[in-house]
Amino acid sequence: MTTYRPPARAWALLTWTEAKLVTRDIAGLVVPLFLPMLIMVMYGLGADGEGTERFRGVPAFDAYVVPMTLVMVVALIGMVNMPAVLAAYRGSGVLRRLEVTPAPPVMILVAQVLAALAQVLVGVVLALLVARLAFGMSMPRDPLPAIGVFCLATAAVYALGMLVAAIAPTTNAAVAIGLVLFFATMALGGGFGPRENLPDGLAALGEHLPYGAGLEALSATWTGVAPDLRHLAALAGAAVLAGAAAAKTFRWD
Amino acid sequence: MAVVEVEGLCKRYGETVAVDDVSFAVERGEIFGIVGRNGAGKTTLVECVEGVRRPDRGRIRVLGLDPSRDRARLRQVMGAQLQGGALPEKLRVGEAVALYRSFYAEGADPARLLDELGLSAKRDTAFENLSGGQAQRLSIALALIGKPRIAVLDELTTGLDPRARRGVWELIEQIRDSGVTVLLVTHFMPEAERLCDRVAVIDRGRLAALDTPGGLIARLDSPQRVRFRAAAPFDAAVLTGLDGVGEVRTDRGETVVTGTGNLLHAVGSALVRHGVVATGTRLETATLDDAFLALTGRTPGEEPTGESGEEEPA
Repeated sequence: MTTYRPPARAWALLTWTEAKLVTRDIAGLVVPLFLPMLIMVMYGLGADGEGTERFRGVPAFDAYVVPMTLVMVVALIGMVNMPAVLAAYRGSGVLRRLEVTPAPPVMILVAQVLAALAQVLVGVVLALLVARLAFGMSMPRDPLPAIGVFCLATAAVYALGMLVAAIAPTTNAAVAIGLVLFFATMALGGGFGPRENLPDGLAALGEHLPYGAGLEALSATWTGVAPDLRHLAALAGAAVLAGAAAAKTFRWD
Repeated sequence: MAVVEVEGLCKRYGETVAVDDVSFAVERGEIFGIVGRNGAGKTTLVECVEGVRRPDRGRIRVLGLDPSRDRARLRQVMGAQLQGGALPEKLRVGEAVALYRSFYAEGADPARLLDELGLSAKRDTAFENLSGGQAQRLSIALALIGKPRIAVLDELTTGLDPRARRGVWELIEQIRDSGVTVLLVTHFMPEAERLCDRVAVIDRGRLAALDTPGGLIARLDSPQRVRFRAAAPFDAAVLTGLDGVGEVRTDRGETVVTGTGNLLHAVGSALVRHGVVATGTRLETATLDDAFLALTGRTPGEEPTGESGEEEPA
């Protein structure tokens, strides 16, 4: 007798179902999709569209504001929205209920990650469209590395989000921890203005946290230089460390 | 062959012994009740049977499978309804059933199952908008969607109004009649008495008794009760000496006589002989509630039983 495993169809259906649930949570959609875009538009309205020397002739809006917006989208979804959903699933017994079905527990995590990724994709496409159509944004000079860097940054913030979901005792705690983490990494990473304005120690710290590292590496692809290995290593390190810690501490009930 | 075999099961959490040396066997096609107060260890016991918890000691076989080691196979043949198990708030009834159906190799037809459970009209209703009874019926649907050979139902009717509860009871009988063995966990004795073929009484982690509801009731010393109100105070001695009379108690004007044999006749004629005018005379036969209280050694006044205790989380 071979052990039955749910077919690919079950994985696909669970992912599709989770994605539908994401679209029904209007409040959960508005913040990560439109808050970053609003901030981007405010910057865009004040920008002159002139290339700057600092970004090798690329306007600061293209090379700094847009990458910052994209990192904000993925960080909000990965570190706040996704952990909140998973903590709610644990708190209300959704995970317990799944435990007595043939669906392996990791299935719901995979489905949740994929559904959140779809949400990220929508947010990124919307932000790029608005930046392009309204403010004439130029695309990254190195498009493939840009995609690679974004994937790495996604892995880093998702791993942190999983860690939040693992340690948060309640849904409210998950939202609180996620938001603190988001704003802290954003403030230190240059999301509230250039990091040069921060004390040196904090600036250096923020540069190596996922928000700052993701922003720097993504910005580099817009200007056409190779991303600094330190930033890539910081992102990979966050993904591996936080991911491992989350796997070790995740509770199902 | 027994569908569920439990031998010498023990489970403790730190210093607390939740299940202490419990053994029983559930036969094919029966509704087997596990009854006990909140915190008696019922849920821990079935969680071991479901493979959600690993027992400290003892042997469990469900359709020949070890729940701890053969979890994946067990999941295919067992449907479970968990106490405190839930669905995402925005998930709709039809989506939930279709999703759970996809987890199983073989299973019931979702549309037909919803129809049988009276949920067809609620197909597009989100879980958060279901009434308590509807949510419980959906929970039963999800436990049955994989066409299980055994269904474990934990505190299924807790929090339901009497009408919804009756509806759920009828469903459980239909499940049994379709050939599924049912393991029913409850602390509500009228439910166990109405549904169960056999009942295991769990008290403080131990198996206090295992019998049919009728068998448990027949074990009582005084399976009958006569209640009446005397028009004027009378001497209880006119009743206590009678054949078959056990205890005579008067509380707030109502006298309760427990005993055996032709109790109503014996009490009635003694009252007439001594010129005691009685009104509202009623004969009550013992229920599983009485048997449960006798077995677990607590008097009815000590703790609310049955429905009034239902709101406590376990």
